[in-house]
Amino acid sequence: MKIGTVVIIGEGELADKLKQLLGKANLKVLVADLKADYAKQVSEADLVMEVAPEDIAAKKKIFKSCDAKCRKEAILATATANPWVTQLARATKRPDKVIGLNFTENPLEEKYLVQVVKGLQTSDETVQAVMELLANVGITAVKLEETPGFILDRVIASVVNEAAVMYSSKLATKEDIDNMMKVCVNWPMGPFEFADSMGVDKIVEILDEMSQQLGSKYQPCFLLRRMVDAGWLGKKTGRGFHVYS
Amino acid sequence: MEIKKIVVLGAGVMGNGIAQVCAQSGYQVNLRDIKDEFVQSGISKIRKFLSGSVERQRMTQAEAAAILGRIRSLTDLKEAVKDVDLVIEAIVEDINIKKEIYKELDQICRPDTVFASNTSAQSITEMAMATKRPDKFIGMHWFNPAQLMRGIEVIVHDKTSKDTMNTVVDLCKKLGKEPGVCKDSPGFIVNRLLQIWYNEGLNMYDEGIAEPQDIDTALKTAYNFRMGPFELRDLVGLDIGIASTTTHYRELMREQFRPPRCLIMKVKAGDLGRKTGKGFYEYKSGS
Repeated sequence: MKIGTVVIIGEGELADKLKQLLGKANLKVLVADLKADYAKQVSEADLVMEVAPEDIAAKKKIFKSCDAKCRKEAILATATANPWVTQLARATKRPDKVIGLNFTENPLEEKYLVQVVKGLQTSDETVQAVMELLANVGITAVKLEETPGFILDRVIASVVNEAAVMYSSKLATKEDIDNMMKVCVNWPMGPFEFADSMGVDKIVEILDEMSQQLGSKYQPCFLLRRMVDAGWLGKKTGRGFHVYS
Repeated sequence: MEIKKIVVLGAGVMGNGIAQVCAQSGYQVNLRDIKDEFVQSGISKIRKFLSGSVERQRMTQAEAAAILGRIRSLTDLKEAVKDVDLVIEAIVEDINIKKEIYKELDQICRPDTVFASNTSAQSITEMAMATKRPDKFIGMHWFNPAQLMRGIEVIVHDKTSKDTMNTVVDLCKKLGKEPGVCKDSPGFIVNRLLQIWYNEGLNMYDEGIAEPQDIDTALKTAYNFRMGPFELRDLVGLDIGIASTTTHYRELMREQFRPPRCLIMKVKAGDLGRKTGKGFYEYKSGS
């Protein structure tokens, strides 16, 4: 199926960014306000892109609503970073057409990666349709089965956790841990820079979710929890592993 | 302590590069290996690197000649370590062979000579205790290629003296490198974190979550990693990879370091990466 009209449901930075990105290709892109009655707008949609806050109950409501108001061929996508695609699909009568499209902005340059998240019920046609759309828009996309942390957060949070263990056990300073990864093996950022950039609270959330669903090796190191308690969350609070003026 | 004269033991992959860097920064360097053909092979690699630098106008012919002039090639161990301030050991990764050579060095080196091992996998503590100068024993872990990679892990064990540590940290800076100090521990800083990064990627493939291509692309596009875990495993060699992660698993005894099943199976099947034309990806001959 060819996607021609995209309706973004939500507001804020991500909604604006998406409108900008998708507007580059030959697409009709509308942004519908959550608080308004978006029934008319979504009736035209080939793809609905839900970018509401991370509240599963609220998202289920949106999906139920869109399911009722959209054309039956329309694809319903969620930008969630949580493993909720399968659950959201279940709230609709078109589970095969529900999919995750999680956008990550590269912190070092103007570039995006989309993780196309397949719920258990998501059909190959749905995957193909969104992959085609993203290719047309010129955004790199990868496919994966729904799992906590998807691809990116799982790798990064695991690395941060181990780095926190190493730092806690006084193996090396945090400056040296970050710097060595960059100057010895060309990492773009050190683990603590990653943590401060994403938010230490975010890292702990990801690790807790993975710990619950995938196993105890993802249990957050005590240091990370104490940092959250102390409010040392990273760049957004002026202090994480490093201090930001 | 001030370093003036250095001996590099082992003219192999790392040794010759290390010798070049030291000579490039003005130090007198003895490059020693057990056979003359090994040393000469090392010297010719240095020559090749230097002529490349001259070609790219990074240095003059005269500078290259001066650098080579500071490197003396030897096979006689006693002669090689005569009056040196620092030994940089870059020989085969075999703890017993290393211990043997350190025992001998203990006898024939000046008592204040510092012993620095470039090992990536052996215990600095264990090697240090094979000598009578554990306070002068330290790790100096370089990365390949020594000429280009800016970072050096400086590995200290319980008995490494502050003076030894400061001497080597200072030397790193004089060599134009960036030192990072780490206590003796499996994988030190870099290889330990790399194992996590590799293993999470490979485990996701094992679990049926995503394909190698998707995992590599995700990390490169989102964060500017130069290569993804599968590409890098293929480049370094899966045989080397499995040895490394198994050592970490055995020494650290944590689930995070368990060798992924796909890595084990690929090695069993003889798919070792670029060097066999196939690993997680396939490589046409000549790539």
